[in-house]
Amino acid sequence: MADSKKTSSMSRNRKVGNFFSYLLLILISVIWLFPFFGLVMQSFRSYATEYGGMVDYIIPKHFSLDNYTFLFSGQTNYLRWYGNTVIIAFFTAILQTLIVLCVSYALSRMRFTGRTLLMRIWLILGMFPGFLTMICMYFLLKQFGLTQEGAVPGLILTYIASCGMGYYVCKGYFDTIPKALDEAARIDGANRFQIMNIMILPLSKPIIIYTALTAFMAPWCDYIFASYVAFGTDKSYNVAVAMTRWVNTNDYQGYFTRFCAGGVLVAIPVTILFMALQKYYVEGVTGGAVKG
Amino acid sequence: MKKNVVSVLLTGVVAASMLAGCGSSSSDTAATTAATEAAAEAETAAAADDAAAETTESAVSTDPATYDGKEVKVWVADNVVDFTNDEISKFQQEYPQYAGVNFTVEPVGEGDAASNVITDVEGAADVFGFAQDQIARLVSAGALEEVNPDYVDDVKSRNDEGSVNAATVGDTLYAYPLTSDNGYFLYYDSSVVTDPSDLDKIISDCEAAGKNFYFEINSGWYQTAFFFGTGCTLTYDTDSDGNFTNCNIDYASDKGVVALKEMIKLASSKSFQNGSSAGDATNFAAIVDGTWDVDTVKQAFGDNFACAKLPSFTGSDGNTYQLSGFSGYKLLGVKPQEDEDKLQICDDLANYLSGEEAQLARYQSVAWGPSNTNDQQNADVQADVALTALNDQMQYDVPQGQYPGDYWSLATGLGDDVIQKNLTSDTSDDDLMAALQTFQDTCISYASAQ
Amino acid sequence: MSSTTKQSSLRREFVEIGTTFRDGDWKTRVSYLILGFGPILRGQLVKGIAYLACEVLFFVYLFRFGLQYLSKFNTLGTVETQKIHRKTVYGDNSFFILLFGILTIVIIAAFIFLWRLNIRENMIEQEKRKEGKALPTNKKAFSSLLDENFDKTLLALPCLGIFVFTVLPILFMICVAFTNYDKNHQSPTHLFTWVGLQNFQSLFSFGTTGFGSTFLKVLGWTLVWAFFATFLDYFLGLAVAMLINKKGIRFKKLWRTILVITIAVPQFVSLLYVSKMFASDGIINGTLLRWGWIKTAIPFWTNPTLAKITIILINIWIGIPYMMLIATGLLMNIPADLYESARIDGANPGQMFWYITLPYMLFVTGPFLLTQFTGNLNNFNVIYLLSGGGPQSVSMAGNAGSTDLLVTWLYKMTVNDTNYKMAAVIGIMVFAVTAIVSLVVYNMLPSVKDEEGFQ
Repeated sequence: MADSKKTSSMSRNRKVGNFFSYLLLILISVIWLFPFFGLVMQSFRSYATEYGGMVDYIIPKHFSLDNYTFLFSGQTNYLRWYGNTVIIAFFTAILQTLIVLCVSYALSRMRFTGRTLLMRIWLILGMFPGFLTMICMYFLLKQFGLTQEGAVPGLILTYIASCGMGYYVCKGYFDTIPKALDEAARIDGANRFQIMNIMILPLSKPIIIYTALTAFMAPWCDYIFASYVAFGTDKSYNVAVAMTRWVNTNDYQGYFTRFCAGGVLVAIPVTILFMALQKYYVEGVTGGAVKG
Repeated sequence: MKKNVVSVLLTGVVAASMLAGCGSSSSDTAATTAATEAAAEAETAAAADDAAAETTESAVSTDPATYDGKEVKVWVADNVVDFTNDEISKFQQEYPQYAGVNFTVEPVGEGDAASNVITDVEGAADVFGFAQDQIARLVSAGALEEVNPDYVDDVKSRNDEGSVNAATVGDTLYAYPLTSDNGYFLYYDSSVVTDPSDLDKIISDCEAAGKNFYFEINSGWYQTAFFFGTGCTLTYDTDSDGNFTNCNIDYASDKGVVALKEMIKLASSKSFQNGSSAGDATNFAAIVDGTWDVDTVKQAFGDNFACAKLPSFTGSDGNTYQLSGFSGYKLLGVKPQEDEDKLQICDDLANYLSGEEAQLARYQSVAWGPSNTNDQQNADVQADVALTALNDQMQYDVPQGQYPGDYWSLATGLGDDVIQKNLTSDTSDDDLMAALQTFQDTCISYASAQ
Repeated sequence: MSSTTKQSSLRREFVEIGTTFRDGDWKTRVSYLILGFGPILRGQLVKGIAYLACEVLFFVYLFRFGLQYLSKFNTLGTVETQKIHRKTVYGDNSFFILLFGILTIVIIAAFIFLWRLNIRENMIEQEKRKEGKALPTNKKAFSSLLDENFDKTLLALPCLGIFVFTVLPILFMICVAFTNYDKNHQSPTHLFTWVGLQNFQSLFSFGTTGFGSTFLKVLGWTLVWAFFATFLDYFLGLAVAMLINKKGIRFKKLWRTILVITIAVPQFVSLLYVSKMFASDGIINGTLLRWGWIKTAIPFWTNPTLAKITIILINIWIGIPYMMLIATGLLMNIPADLYESARIDGANPGQMFWYITLPYMLFVTGPFLLTQFTGNLNNFNVIYLLSGGGPQSVSMAGNAGSTDLLVTWLYKMTVNDTNYKMAAVIGIMVFAVTAIVSLVVYNMLPSVKDEEGFQ
C-alpha cells in the first residue's frame, strides 16, 4: 500500500518534471529554429514590392518567388557557382576518404620505423594556424596554374593535400577492430593489401561514410581560402565566395533577400544529406571524441 | 635513434647549404653585373627609341598582327560589366588594330580591386577600376603604370581638376579619372524630415517619427564631414613612388574637439545608426550616402524621396558649421606590363573607357557622375537630382588626396570609440583633446614610418 | 637523450660510411658517386634504377632550377625591378627565392639521406652475398610494396601532399617572420630581405606604435573566448543531451534533429544571417523597439563587452548540438548497473550526475576537450562572420578590434594590410600558445595513457 503510494507520487513528480522538460525543449527548439525561419521568410520576400535590402521585420508583406527566379534567370552565375561547389565537394569527398583510409590503416595496423615520429610531426604541424600559409599556398597553386581559372581543381588539391593529417577519428575506429582478425588472415596467406581490402574496409562502413560526409560538407563553407584562390574570376567562385560578396560588398545593393534564397538552396541538400547520414556522423564524432 | 639520424641530416644540410652559399657567391656577383650591364644596354637602347619616337612623332604600331591573340583582363563593378562589354566592342570598332585582342570583363568591385591587385599583381586584371583612396597603396606596391605620356595632357585637360589631382601621386599622373561622384550628401524622406539643412532638426524629426538616421561615422571617409566642417585639415604629401612624406593635420585643436563633440552628440541619439549602405539600412528616414545608392533610396522613400547637401550644425562653441567631407573620384588604372604592345592596348582602352563619350554613356546607363568637364555640362547630368545635391555639397568639400591605408582603419577606431561610448558627452574636453592628440600623432607616424 | 649518445650515434654513422667504403668491393665504391650502381650490377634492377633516377633527377633539379634560388638565399635577391622605356622588367623575386631556396635545402637534405640509404643498401647486399644468401628478386621487391612495405605505398602520396602544401608553406612563413616582407616590400616589384628579430621586437614593444599592448589584449581575449566557448558548450551540451535522454521524454529523434540543423547548414549562411539579426538596425532590435521593450537599440556588435558576450552566446547555438551528439552516444555507454547500484544506495539524481556521469564523461572526453579548446583558439568562422573582429579603437595597433582573435587578426594583416611579416609573427605566436596549452593540459589529462592501451 505504502509502496504504491510512493510510486504514484514519484510518477507525478516525473510528470511535472517532464512537463518542464518539454517546455524547455520547445523553448530550445524555437531558439534554434528561429534564425532559419527568418532566413526562409526573407528568401520569399517579394523583390518587386519590398526590394531586396535589409528590413527589421520577419514576415514579408508580400510573398513571392522573385529571389529564386533571379538565381535561375541567368543574370548571375549562380548555377555555375553551385556546380563548382558540387564538383569540389564531390571530388574532395572521394579523394579525401581514400587518403584518410590509407593513412589510418597504415598508422593503425602497421608498425614501422618513424611511425611515432611521423605522428608527432603531424601533431605539431596541426598547431600552426591554417591562414598563416595562405599567401604561400596561393603562389604554390599558381605555379601549377591552379588559381583563378583553375581554381576548382586547385581547391580540390588543397583540400585533399594535407587531409592525411586528419586521421585521428578514422584511426581510432580501426584501432577498435581486433588485430586477431589480421593475424588469422595472414596465416591464410593474405598480404596487407588484401587484408585492408577484404577484411578491414567492409567492417568500416560507418567511418567511411563519416569521413566522406565531413569532407563533402566542408567545401560548402569555405569562403576565405576559396576567395583567395579564385579572386577576380567569376566563373571559378564557389557559392560561399560569390554570395558573401552580395552581403559584404557595396556594389550589391538590395541583394540581401537573394542571399537568403541562395543560402536556402545551399542549405537544403546539405541538410538532407546530413540528416540521412546522421547516424554515421554520430558514430564518427563519438568515436573520435573518445579516441581523441 | 631516429632523432639522431635527423640531427645528422640537419648538420649535413647546413654544411651543404653553406658550401653552396660560398661557392655560388662569385657566380652571384657575376650574374648581377651581367644583369646591370644588360639593363644599362637596354636603357641606352630605350633612350635611342625615345629619340626616334620624338623625331618620327609616333612609333606605335597600328598593325593588327602586333596585337592579335593578346589577352586583356578588365575588372569593373558588377553593375557595369555589361556596359563595359558594350563599350569594348565599340572600342574595337574604333581601333581596328585591336580586333584580334581577347578582352574579358570580370565583376570585381572598386572596393576589392586594389587588395586583389596587390595580392598578386601578375594574376590581376590589366585594366581595373578602383576608388581613389587606394591609389597610393597601388603605386607603392608597383601595381599601377603611369598614364601614357602621349595622353597625359589630354587626360588632364578634359577632366575636372579634383579628379586629376586624385589620380596624381607626387607629380605623376597614374590613373584615368572615371567619375567625379564619389562624394556624399543627404538623402531624406520629406514626409519625416522637415528641415534638411539643420542636423539637430533632422535628428529630432527622426527621433519623433521613430525612424533611423544613417551616418557612417566610423568610416574615415564620412567622418571628415565633421572635422573638415569645423575647419580642421588632414592631408598627406606623397612622393612619386607612393610613399607618404609628410602629414598636415590639426585635429588636436579646439576645432577638432567641436567636431568630435558633434559626432558624440549624433551617436547618442536613439535614431542614429552607423552605416552608409542604403540596401542594408532599415526603417530609415535619412541617410548620408552617395549617388550609387540613388535607386535603392528611391525604392525606400518612394514619392517622399528627396536629397540635399549635408546639413549644418551648431557646435558646442555656439558657432554654426556646415558639414564638409571628401569629394572623391573613381579611377581607372593600368597595371605595369612586361609587353609594351599589350601596354599600348591597355592605355588605349583605359583612355577610351574614361573618355567623354564613354563617361556620358556610363552616366546614362548606370548614373555615375562624370569627371569629364564637357559631360558635366550635359543637360541630363545637370538635371540629375542626386548629382545636383552632390554638386551643392561639393563646394564645401575638400578634394580627396592620398591617404595611407592605416588612416582608414585608425579612423574606424576613432568612430568606434564614439559609438561604443568610450568617448561620451560626459568626457572632459581634456580627455577628448587627448584622444585627438593620439589620433593626430598616429596619423603623423604613418608619414614618417616610411 | 643525453648528448653523449647523440654524439656517439653521429660518429657511428660516419664510421659506418667509412668502413663500408673501406671494406666495400668496387661496385659499392662506385655507388658512392653513382647511386644504385651496386644494386644494378647485383641484379637488383628496380632498386638500383630507382636510386639512379633519383640522383639524375636531383642534379637536374639542382642545376636547372634549385641553385639559382639557393645562391641568392642569403640576400633574397638584389636586382631591382626597372622600367625600360614603358616596359616593366621585373628583377629578382624575393618571394620565389625564399620559397624555392627552402625547397632546395630540403631536397638537398633528402638527397643526402638517400645517399646514406644507398650506402647501407650496398653494405647489406654485399654482406648477404658474402654469406651466400640470395638477394630478393625484383618481383619480390614489387610485391613487398603491398605487404611488409605496404605502409610506404599507403603513406607516400599523403606525405608528399603534406610536405608540399603544409610543411613547405609553414617553413616559408616562419622564415618570413624574419624578413621585412610587407606592403612596401612586395614581390615582384620590390625586394624584401632578412631583418633578424626586428618583427618580434615590434610585437613586444609597448610604445604608442608598438604592438605589445594590443597583442596582450588580443591574446587575453583569445584565451577567454576559447575557455568559455569550450566549457559552456560542453556543459550545456551535456545538459541538453541528458534532457533529451531523460526517461519519459518522447520524440527524442525530433529534438535531436532540430538541434543538429545548425551543424548541417553552412555557417556562412547561418552566421551571416544571425549577425545581421543582431545588428543595431536588425530584426531583434527593430522588434524590441517596436514592442516598446527598449528605448534605444542594444549595441550587440558595437559595444566591446556586449559584442564579446553576444559572440559567446551565439557560439552556444553552434556548439551545443555537436556536444549533444557526442554526449548522447557516450551516456549510453555508461554501464547501467552503476546507476542501479547507486539508486539502491539511495543516491539522488544530482548525486548520480556528480559522482557517476560527470567523472565518466570528463575522463572519456578529456582529449576531445583539449582538441576543442585548441580548435576554439583558432575558431575563425564564428568571429569573422559575426563581428568581423570589431569594434575597433584608436588604442589598438595593427587594426585589431576588441573581438579579434589572434587568427582573425592574422587574417586581417594578410588580406587587408598585406603585412605578411607581422602576420607570420602572429602565426608563430598562435602556434606557441596552442603548443603550450596542449602540452600543459595533455599531461594533466587522466585518460592519457600509452596509445597501445586503447587497442
